[in-house]
Amino acid sequence: LLGFLKQARGETIQGLRSSLLAAIDTLSRVDSSVAVSSGGELFLRFISLTSLEYSDYSKCKEIMIERGEIFLRKVSLSRNKIAKLCHPFIRDGARILTHAYSRVVLRVLEAAVESKKRFSVYVTESQPDQAGQVLINLQKMAKALRKLNIPVTVILDAAVGYIMEKVDLVLVGAEGVVESGGIINKIGTNQIAVCAKAQNKPFYVVAESFKFVRLFPLNQQDVPDKFKYKADTLKTSQNLTEEHPWIDYTSPSLITLLFTDLGVLTPSAVSDELIKLYL
Amino acid sequence: SGELMDLIRTEGQRMTAAQPSETTVGNMVRRVLKVIREEYGRLHGCSEESDQQESLHKLLTSGGLSEDFSTLYPTLRANVIEAINELLIELEGTTDNIAMQALEHIHSNEVIMTIGYSRTVEAFLKEAARKRKFQVIVAECAPFCQGHEMAVRLSKENIETTVMSDAAIFAVMSRVNKVIIGTKTILANGALIAVSGTHTLALAAKHHSTPLIVCAPMFKLSPQFPNEEDSFHKFVSPQEVLPFTEGEILGKINVHCPVFDYVPPELITLFISNIGGNAPSYIYRLMSELYHPDDYEL
Repeated sequence: LLGFLKQARGETIQGLRSSLLAAIDTLSRVDSSVAVSSGGELFLRFISLTSLEYSDYSKCKEIMIERGEIFLRKVSLSRNKIAKLCHPFIRDGARILTHAYSRVVLRVLEAAVESKKRFSVYVTESQPDQAGQVLINLQKMAKALRKLNIPVTVILDAAVGYIMEKVDLVLVGAEGVVESGGIINKIGTNQIAVCAKAQNKPFYVVAESFKFVRLFPLNQQDVPDKFKYKADTLKTSQNLTEEHPWIDYTSPSLITLLFTDLGVLTPSAVSDELIKLYL
Repeated sequence: SGELMDLIRTEGQRMTAAQPSETTVGNMVRRVLKVIREEYGRLHGCSEESDQQESLHKLLTSGGLSEDFSTLYPTLRANVIEAINELLIELEGTTDNIAMQALEHIHSNEVIMTIGYSRTVEAFLKEAARKRKFQVIVAECAPFCQGHEMAVRLSKENIETTVMSDAAIFAVMSRVNKVIIGTKTILANGALIAVSGTHTLALAAKHHSTPLIVCAPMFKLSPQFPNEEDSFHKFVSPQEVLPFTEGEILGKINVHCPVFDYVPPELITLFISNIGGNAPSYIYRLMSELYHPDDYEL
């Protein structure tokens, strides 16, 4: 998006804004993801805030670009911040359950390894439903963990209930964090959360702050279709009820704590943060 | 003032390292640090940034990073001293503030249960007793049996008091209308560190859907999270549990005497503090008002 801004040739702020919107639209249409759309919206907000202050257009554009760089930098630092906050919660000898591939979770586990903690990880297969991709997805997370010398066990998605009694805590990433404090993440997360609650295991979520999204789903149906299915599926399929969704919504009552670059938050604190932003 | 803050911080670290279970010390140090920051900010003139917390909003609007406390202001000292005096006055008035709210929560002919001895709860109940008639059941809270002391004091105010053992908590719970307890510390997620036996009381109350009210002044709110289950525990001599006179058996068994208990936030209904009544899920907000995020790790 920043690159696009640099190249934009619009002469008015309005023109710039609408072309940016179009860019975000195209991005989301290619491979819809909650994080992309929330990141895009935040960037837009960012821009609109600037435009109120300066009347000279070209100067405005420069400031925007500068701010964009700062934004980018802050966002890349956020993963390290989160890792620093989260790793004290992992005890020596802990057994962690995680789901699908998440770079933030990986960073947290790296930080825990650096602070000389020994623990083992169970990773779910997180089966996508398309054949052929199976092996790729399976190995990404497990390989990365093995490189860090952490003992890893890959388990079936269906085996979560079976393994829950052996596990000490559950740590997942999030594709989006919604206003109620719940999360949107790879399909299967809701199940893990429910099992964890049933057996009284803490369920921790790690997410960067740009993933906070202005949605308030009350149930699974409320999550917009464009996030649930891949873009080409939306275009080609006739009947959406026959397609498998890629993400699900986990309600805040199942989450113990959220680790973000804004600090350690309880799910009820999330909506407060969102309000502060969109004030 | 940057130097002042560093001085305070090192002193604070020394004191908390000496006795980690006394979190109040650390809390007050953090309060003072926040006071200093506020006064500095006020003098510095940047009142638009009065909200110093990290937020998404800040992520987007500010170009620069954290402020630098090096500019000197001669009036800063006087302001800080005044603010600290205000803090002291607040501290002295906490028990009275809490007791003043008693009448709203206790009604006539109620059966109230409590555990152990807490000065805050004692003041709370005494204040209510002046206008209402109710009964109190006190769990004695072995092994130190401070419940006995509580019962004696309450009965001096002509409150009908009953003392019972901790084992009978669940049995009596069905007759109880409210549970009111004090605590040692309130943690950042809304959980409690209280005398041992409180978790049992909380679970029994949850089972019978009895409201659990915690009376605690705000200086007990600590920004720590319960990350290591046993880092908060303080153990004392097991003399109270099994006296040393029972010589023979001592070589064959392990005796523990933990002082504190962890109570998770889902079991608590209401916190009554000198600022008013709050739900456990609101604790994060109170924390952001009292302390600055940079001070969470002293």
